[in-house]
Amino acid sequence: MTAKPHRLLLRMAVVSAVLLFSLAVVMVMGLSLGSTHAGFDAIVKTLTGSGDSDPMLQAIIWHIRFPRVLLAALVGAALSSGGLVFQALLRNPLAEPYILGISGGAAIGGIIGILLGLSRFPGVTLTAFAGSMCTLMLVMIISSGQSILKKDSLLLAGVMVNAFCSAVIMFLVSMTQDSRLHNIIFWLMGDMSMTDLHQVGILSAILIPGFILIFCLSNAMNLLLMGREMAISMGLQLKTITLTLLVVTSFMVSATVSHCGLIGFVGLVIPHLLRMVLGPDHRVLVPACVLGGGAYMVFCDLLARTLPQQGEMPAGVITALIGAPLFIVLLKRSNR
Amino acid sequence: MFIIKSIFQQAVVALMLAAVVLLTPEASARQVTDGIRRQIHVPDNPVRVVALAPSITEIIFALGQEHRLVGVSQFSDFPSEALRLPQVGSYIKPDLEKIIALNPDICIAVKDGNPRAVADRLESLRIPVYAVDPLDLGAVMTMVVQIGDLLNAGDRARTIVTEMKSRIDGVRELVKKTKQRPGVFFQIGFSPIVSVGKGTFIHELIQMAGGKNLCADFTSYPRLSREQVVALLPDVLVITTMHRDVTIDQVKAEWAGWSQIPAVRDNRIAVVDSNIFDRPTPRQVDALEQLVRIIHPKLFKDSQ
Repeated sequence: MTAKPHRLLLRMAVVSAVLLFSLAVVMVMGLSLGSTHAGFDAIVKTLTGSGDSDPMLQAIIWHIRFPRVLLAALVGAALSSGGLVFQALLRNPLAEPYILGISGGAAIGGIIGILLGLSRFPGVTLTAFAGSMCTLMLVMIISSGQSILKKDSLLLAGVMVNAFCSAVIMFLVSMTQDSRLHNIIFWLMGDMSMTDLHQVGILSAILIPGFILIFCLSNAMNLLLMGREMAISMGLQLKTITLTLLVVTSFMVSATVSHCGLIGFVGLVIPHLLRMVLGPDHRVLVPACVLGGGAYMVFCDLLARTLPQQGEMPAGVITALIGAPLFIVLLKRSNR
Repeated sequence: MFIIKSIFQQAVVALMLAAVVLLTPEASARQVTDGIRRQIHVPDNPVRVVALAPSITEIIFALGQEHRLVGVSQFSDFPSEALRLPQVGSYIKPDLEKIIALNPDICIAVKDGNPRAVADRLESLRIPVYAVDPLDLGAVMTMVVQIGDLLNAGDRARTIVTEMKSRIDGVRELVKKTKQRPGVFFQIGFSPIVSVGKGTFIHELIQMAGGKNLCADFTSYPRLSREQVVALLPDVLVITTMHRDVTIDQVKAEWAGWSQIPAVRDNRIAVVDSNIFDRPTPRQVDALEQLVRIIHPKLFKDSQ
């Protein structure tokens, strides 16, 4: 694998360039389309900033759609790279923060934070992180008795923890009597409509170091996939790396959950598609997941706000409608 | 040379645009205190108003200022002319893009309902947001005057309020004539059974109409089991509906088997239009009078 470093670099560059281009394309689409319709010329003028563009359209594109598109890209990148890390660490192709209940735990923490009246950052982000760490530990403890390698026990533990989380969320929502209820429900379904550049800035300050760290550890993930003994004999500090990656990805997932609620299956769809196309090398897959996941999420969010005639649907609905059937197909196939 | 010139031109255009954006709101603005005690700048004569709740739409129509409306919240269905106006998303989830596309010079919002984030975003885009906070019938009257003053229709607003006051006084006088306070169970919709507790409009209306709200000690919008309702032994059952096709017979059939409930035994079940009961508008006085008719039918007949 390390025999031809320049070929690896070339592959990384080509893959990243292609995905970066598609990300740019969907981002431009995301900026151009929305619930108000404007002529093609006007949009091009506003996007390029040339000539006398309509100040109203400028406000819509740069103050409303732009932060939202950036947020979608960041969230998609975080969730799909999170899925990739979970699949490598747990050596289970079906592992994903949402399916394993990590997102659910973060949502419980987030709701508690909202009900306590904490601010979104750092308050709600930290309570969400605490929630996600609790569920992560719970899933590990439940499944560890029969060794992590057994994928069924891990998935079952995840499903159970997830069901428990949904029950707790329902309980908290049913106990909430005031006007915050609607906000919580929209937030839970995955809502990106109310973001501004300030929030996007905070989120990117949390997520981008995470992406870099995951990328730095991508070769370690390759070794991990070759087996525990192999990894140790290659001089890997197994526990430290596993722990670091799990904590970092859980924190990234918690940050996205506290910003835009539960968005599921992104961490399943994107890593799988990319692995099918690009093969198992994580040094290529990590940047690919960051860019591809971002593009996918921007696209799903675009569908969410342009498909309905009146209002918009939560982006989490779209990702689940696409992702859940795919999960079933993958489950069927891996059982063969 | 050409490039420098075009950059210069762009800079001039940008500066002019910035100047337009910066100056227009201030040019003919006044400072007012809105319904939640915030100091905001509003235009002297707002001509492009967006109403972020059906109740606001109703009030603007009642004030005869509908020509100023350029957009309304979804479900703004009264009066029916309001349905012709462009809709900007729902009360709890306004569509920012649509609001901005209408280029409003002011938005009127309700504190409990419209998300704070929406107001903040609009204000960051230099669209003033006037917030109102109608918590009870008195506050509704205050709100009518506030919106009236905002839209230069203060006289009309005061006339509306005077009429509301005299009708409310009429109800008070009427209710004073009896010591009876029948127990009212107010049900919002059919399933699940949700009632109203203290601190809600409807609770206030029930008390004013000479009834005793059986759920006064519960939370604002408590969810009850059928068992609990039976145990409360209501004298009167009032059920709101948002669906016009639900008939009184269906409602009665729902409760028919529970003859131990006085309201069912005495056939005192009423179906009312939810819009006039839970929207903070002058029409709540209609709701109040309707409640008196339901709770004290004799009293009402005598006064006619």
